[in-house]
Amino acid sequence: MAAPSAILPSTAFSEELRRRGGATAARCYQCATCSGVCELAPEDSPFPRRQMLWAQWGLADRLAAHPAVWLCYQCNDCTQRCPRDARPGDVLQILRALAIEGLAFPRVLGQLVGRAATTWPILIGAPILFWIVLLASTGLLSVPKGTLVYGDFVPHWLIYSVFFPVAGWVMYASWVSGRGFWNLLGDGSPRSGSFLLHLLPVLTEIATHKRFASCEAARPRRLGHLLLLWGFVGAAITSGLLVVALYGFHTELPLPLEHPFKILGNVSGVLLVVGGVLLVRNRLTDGERTGTSTAFDTFFLTVVLAVIATGVLSEVGRFAFPAELACALYVVHLGVVLSLFLTFPYSKFAHLLYRTLALVHGRMTTPPAPAEG
Amino acid sequence: MNASKPLPLLVVGAGIAGITTALEAAEAGREVVLVEREASVGGRVLRTYHYFPKLCPPSCGMEINTRRLERNPRIRVLTQTSLAKATPTASGWAVTLGQAPAYVNDRCTACGACTEVCPTRVPDPFNFAMSEVAAIRLPHPNAWPRCFVLDRAACPEGCRACVEACQYNAIDLAATGREESMEVGSVVAATGWQPYPLERLPELGGGIFPDVIANVHMERLASSSGPTGGKILRPSTKQPPRRVAFIQCAGSRDVKHLPYCSAVCCLASLKQALYVHEQLPDAEVSIYYIDRRTPGRNEDMLTRVAATTGISLVKGKVGKVQRGENGDLILRVEDVEAGSLKSAHADLVVLATGMVPNLRDDGLPLDLPRDEDGFGLESLEKGILVAGVARRPEDVAATVRDATGAAAKACVATLRRA
Amino acid sequence: MERLGVFLCTGCGIGQALNLEGLGAVAKELRAAACITHPCLCAPEGVEAIRSALAGDELGGILLAACSPRAKQAEFRFDPTRVAVERVSLREHVVWSHPAGEEDTQLLAEDLLRMGMVRLAKMTTPKPQVEAIERTVLVVGGGVAGLEAARAAAGAGHPVVLVEAQERLGGHLAGLRHLVPERPPYDAPHPNRLPELIADLLAHPQVRIFTSSQLRGIAGQPGQFRVEVETPQGMQSFAVGAIVQATGAHPYEAPKLSHLGYSHSPNIMTSHELEAMLRDGILRRPSDLRPPQRVVFIQCAGSRDPQHLAYCSAECCATTLKQVAVIHREFPGVETVVLYRDMRTPGQLERFYQAVQEQPGSLFARGEVERVEGNGAGPLTVYLKDSLLGNAVALPADLVVLAVGMVPNAADGEAIRALHDAERRAATGESETQRAEARKVVEQLAAHEGTEILHLDYRQGPDLPALKYGFPDSHFICFPYETRRTGIYAAGTMRAPMDAAQAAEDGWGAAMKAVQCVAALSRGEAVHPRSGDLGIPDFFLQRCTQCKRCTEECPFGTLNEDAKGTPQLNPLRCRRCGICMGACPERIISFPDYSVDGVASMIKAMSVPEDVEEKPRIVALLCENDALPALDVAASQRRRWNPWVRVIPIRCLGSTNIVWIADALSRGIDGMVLIGCRYGDDYQCHYVRGSELAHTRLGNVQETLQRLALEPERIKVVELAHDEYGRIPEILDEFATDLEKLGPSPLKGF
Repeated sequence: MAAPSAILPSTAFSEELRRRGGATAARCYQCATCSGVCELAPEDSPFPRRQMLWAQWGLADRLAAHPAVWLCYQCNDCTQRCPRDARPGDVLQILRALAIEGLAFPRVLGQLVGRAATTWPILIGAPILFWIVLLASTGLLSVPKGTLVYGDFVPHWLIYSVFFPVAGWVMYASWVSGRGFWNLLGDGSPRSGSFLLHLLPVLTEIATHKRFASCEAARPRRLGHLLLLWGFVGAAITSGLLVVALYGFHTELPLPLEHPFKILGNVSGVLLVVGGVLLVRNRLTDGERTGTSTAFDTFFLTVVLAVIATGVLSEVGRFAFPAELACALYVVHLGVVLSLFLTFPYSKFAHLLYRTLALVHGRMTTPPAPAEG
Repeated sequence: MNASKPLPLLVVGAGIAGITTALEAAEAGREVVLVEREASVGGRVLRTYHYFPKLCPPSCGMEINTRRLERNPRIRVLTQTSLAKATPTASGWAVTLGQAPAYVNDRCTACGACTEVCPTRVPDPFNFAMSEVAAIRLPHPNAWPRCFVLDRAACPEGCRACVEACQYNAIDLAATGREESMEVGSVVAATGWQPYPLERLPELGGGIFPDVIANVHMERLASSSGPTGGKILRPSTKQPPRRVAFIQCAGSRDVKHLPYCSAVCCLASLKQALYVHEQLPDAEVSIYYIDRRTPGRNEDMLTRVAATTGISLVKGKVGKVQRGENGDLILRVEDVEAGSLKSAHADLVVLATGMVPNLRDDGLPLDLPRDEDGFGLESLEKGILVAGVARRPEDVAATVRDATGAAAKACVATLRRA
Repeated sequence: MERLGVFLCTGCGIGQALNLEGLGAVAKELRAAACITHPCLCAPEGVEAIRSALAGDELGGILLAACSPRAKQAEFRFDPTRVAVERVSLREHVVWSHPAGEEDTQLLAEDLLRMGMVRLAKMTTPKPQVEAIERTVLVVGGGVAGLEAARAAAGAGHPVVLVEAQERLGGHLAGLRHLVPERPPYDAPHPNRLPELIADLLAHPQVRIFTSSQLRGIAGQPGQFRVEVETPQGMQSFAVGAIVQATGAHPYEAPKLSHLGYSHSPNIMTSHELEAMLRDGILRRPSDLRPPQRVVFIQCAGSRDPQHLAYCSAECCATTLKQVAVIHREFPGVETVVLYRDMRTPGQLERFYQAVQEQPGSLFARGEVERVEGNGAGPLTVYLKDSLLGNAVALPADLVVLAVGMVPNAADGEAIRALHDAERRAATGESETQRAEARKVVEQLAAHEGTEILHLDYRQGPDLPALKYGFPDSHFICFPYETRRTGIYAAGTMRAPMDAAQAAEDGWGAAMKAVQCVAALSRGEAVHPRSGDLGIPDFFLQRCTQCKRCTEECPFGTLNEDAKGTPQLNPLRCRRCGICMGACPERIISFPDYSVDGVASMIKAMSVPEDVEEKPRIVALLCENDALPALDVAASQRRRWNPWVRVIPIRCLGSTNIVWIADALSRGIDGMVLIGCRYGDDYQCHYVRGSELAHTRLGNVQETLQRLALEPERIKVVELAHDEYGRIPEILDEFATDLEKLGPSPLKGF
């Protein structure tokens, strides 16, 4: 028999789990109904039954080394059927939050976002304040005359001089956390094939949300989630194109409504709005299925919605509102966007990174199953 | 001990618990009135093929018990009777018993002439409607009292065939119900249980697929007095199954269904696995469990079954049951010990459904104290006792133990209050 | 029995199927004092007809030629002390199961009538001997079961004597503050109410309690037991009517569980030792008296293990949960781990299980504990295999608690008796080989030396016979209190593994049986399974040859022996099975309504065609509890069987006397089939050993047959369960065809 591995239960971990609303995990009596109903659980290492036991025992290292928690889309089929009402779906959601915090670089930012319940005013307020201070210090904090062009209010060079370094930092932080995660995954079990080769199918999978569709209970959530995803992608592309247009071709901003970039931007905006609305409605109407929301989720959703709302409002406000209000909205918009950027590696947003890695890892450690889904 | 003759005990329900309570008290010299809702005594146990762990027929012990009932001058057995009213008195309870119309009275000799001429067939309640019987019949081969019953509602307009066939004028289609009032010293509720409804377990195929049955149905399938004459067959094809799966805790240990453990299902399924194995030695039998609960010497039963080739015990609660292409059933379950998910195929799925106390929905006109699942709580002070599964989920041996104790408590309560 | 009346019922098709004149003629030929035919004997008019005839013709016995003796018993109940009743099953055994109007059918009916008449003629009405019956109930053992039994018996108005070996009452629950919850909401330990009960009993005028006391002897029979108790105040003697034995159980010896390291570290303790600490409100490591950080509970320590206790001890899971709950309530911050194979929390205990799981710091894992390592004060490690946490894991612990199983405090009366017999033979045996044999037995049974608890003065041993795993359980599912010593009832953990709540129930149940036994004996009635039977076996001792078969074979230890080996009847111990009657080679044992002579005369009374060409005759002895009902059901389903078979219902196959077979064969009867209950480990015989003994006896007969140059196939014993009514006609038909193959009995016409 293999040398026995030492088990060290961590009451601290289960205490933290409890604090974040995962107390229900304690009720699990390992019947495995959850694994039996899960449509996403792989045949050879089903979840979440085992993860529930590890959570009870606070075996953080095992949880971190196993991709399972990232393969869960929180459809809550398991929570619906759990005979002890241990709510595995919620517990896995909290485990993901804990993992994001645990992998965060630097740790302190992870903890800051992890405790969003108390720190949200800083997380949202600070970036807004930052813009106000920045504008004030550069003597730009004044509403331009005539028809409002945000470019006159906050010059693009200023925006980009803030967002380029921030984006750089975010990518660096994500890279560090991502690599840390990648090294933990699978306890050094051998991977085969090239990362990029396996990344492609994963990305298409994400782009189509195919796995998501197989969760019975989550279907209503799927569309909203998908639209939001595409909305963000669209928005990202638009801002990329704008930079090119602005500095490559010295195009005049704001662009006319019929300009393809503008259209792309607005379409993305619409996707974000619709997606956001769908998700919120789903959360309000179908609470049991969506599972209980922790501050961590709510924070992320709020920031996303704030970005969308302020974005739309400032676009409309340019004509509809008094210039002062429009400018104020625009500053808030820049603030929440900055918040969204900065918190990416530490907020729920990071699941995009970790889930992608987990899926790739899965493909690289198991022979491709024929006819998936 | 008080000089005056103590008041009689009223025992409600003549299943194994009620019969035992009544007999033990009566043989100790007490007057007992035993009322039963159905037409014959024996309740659930007589619907059981064999008892665990001895795999012996319940009718064997019931033979002794009915003889004891029949020969004991201190017991009155009132069938098709229920407790209509009960009001506390200084020394006990003033009760009113309501007896349903006796369309067939005790002049019946059980000769069977009426059944032969009866034109109407009805679903047989004794077999959970898995078969049909004449509207007038002996409830089952070992029915006691040995008196026929008539499903009056099923009679065709103006049909008098049975009345004319009966030479002993034992049949009165115009019979009416009657009420009887008396004072009793204490009341013992031995009202038993009903199986948790299959329909409540759709995700396990309950009420959806004909080949998903409950453990109580399996007892009938295995019984010579059952719908198949004792042959274990798939309801859909009437063919013997090749793969039989037992799903434990179907409803029990589940806060969304029955939060308690029904205490007998593990042993019942082990026993039924042996029914299948003995009748169909080549059949593959799987039992999917959360915990194997075989307390005391019943552990032997587990050891025996675990050692039987062809029967496998799998740790893991089945998540869902779906229909396969060729009409068989597919169980999705994690084999916890193997740590892998599997889709197991079966031709017949038996849900080990739990026991729901009848007191849950009918607390009797005594405002009998109950816990939140409907199990009765005794009160010596009030002269209310509870016996058998009305009190807690338990097997027959434990029920008889409880019922004997309840008899003692009822006697003591009566004396104390007299 | 003089002046017999015959009552012929013509209802249920009897009238149409049979020639009544023929039957009437038989009645006359048998000199019946009255022969009345009635269209429906069981109807009020019919019963009235019987009653008036009884009064008019002063009939001493009546033969009811109607339906099965199992039908209409209430209608046909007459004062058994005044009139003997024999019933001939013309309906089930003749007209429902054989073609109407045929010669064979008629012959069968006439034979059954003859047989019934002679049986009735041999009956006497029982003279119930109502003796002075002591109402006191003796309770042995002052644990929860014994205390509740005492409360129950005293509450039912019986004087009670309670004998406890220990100084204080309460057994394992003595001094405990908490018990497993029994009442809603079932989520936290309950306060131990036993002290109040003990106080009540100590104050109860009807209850005498002897602590630090031992039984020294129990002589006599139920209703008249004479008990000797050695108390600190000296020897006490008194009479009791019935006995409840509730001597409890003791924990399995932890040192035997070497892989769990109990002997290696003081920090590995049993659940009982932990209980003692918690009782005093402390929790600490014996090695350094410091509070532990992590307490690991190991379930099934000894239980469910063929090397130790093959059974499940039934209470350990709940007890562990209680201890865990108490630890988390009184010592916050301590971490508990429960290692189980299956959590066994039946019924509402499931709620308790969940409540305990929800305690912070309360962990559970399923797995097999391979071993526990640790020496002296050193650190402890629990090694698990095949666990949910991995196939091989090591768990550090500060304190390890072994949930050890229970072993009944019961003595095996029959083993002790066998030991003493062997000791005697070893000393006084005739041959050296015999003495050597005996010495071997003594060695094997040495462990039983001096284990007596009840000290019964019974030929079959000083204590209840132990059944599987040493529990004197009744082995009956339907009748859990039926011990094999009348008037002595086992209760609590010595009867079967159970928890405290069940033991309390059990005390009440056993007390009920004790009280009931006293009541039945005062009415001169038998107890279970022939409750209400007034007959008592009569021993014609002048012809006794002291063969001791009756004293050996009685399953209920009814008979003692004097020095010469003559049986001494203790009628109040008797259960009326008739096994002694079947065992007796001198045929000197008989009941008023059931005797060797009675059945023998039935066999002699049947008509056996002398002519070899004629049809064969078969006698079928059917156990009245299983085989006879099965045949009745077959008949009610109008199943047919061979008309040459003559069915004789008997109480128990064990009452079969070899002479019946001799008589039958010598009369030229072609074959005899005996159908009785299943025997062996899962026996269904309500007299425990009847069916089994019949098989052994019949085994011996086979040799005799060969000596008589008769084919052994002519005698057949079959096991049949109550619900095998589909099989029984086939059994009879097959036997008939087999006999036809053998040809007629060579003894015909001799």
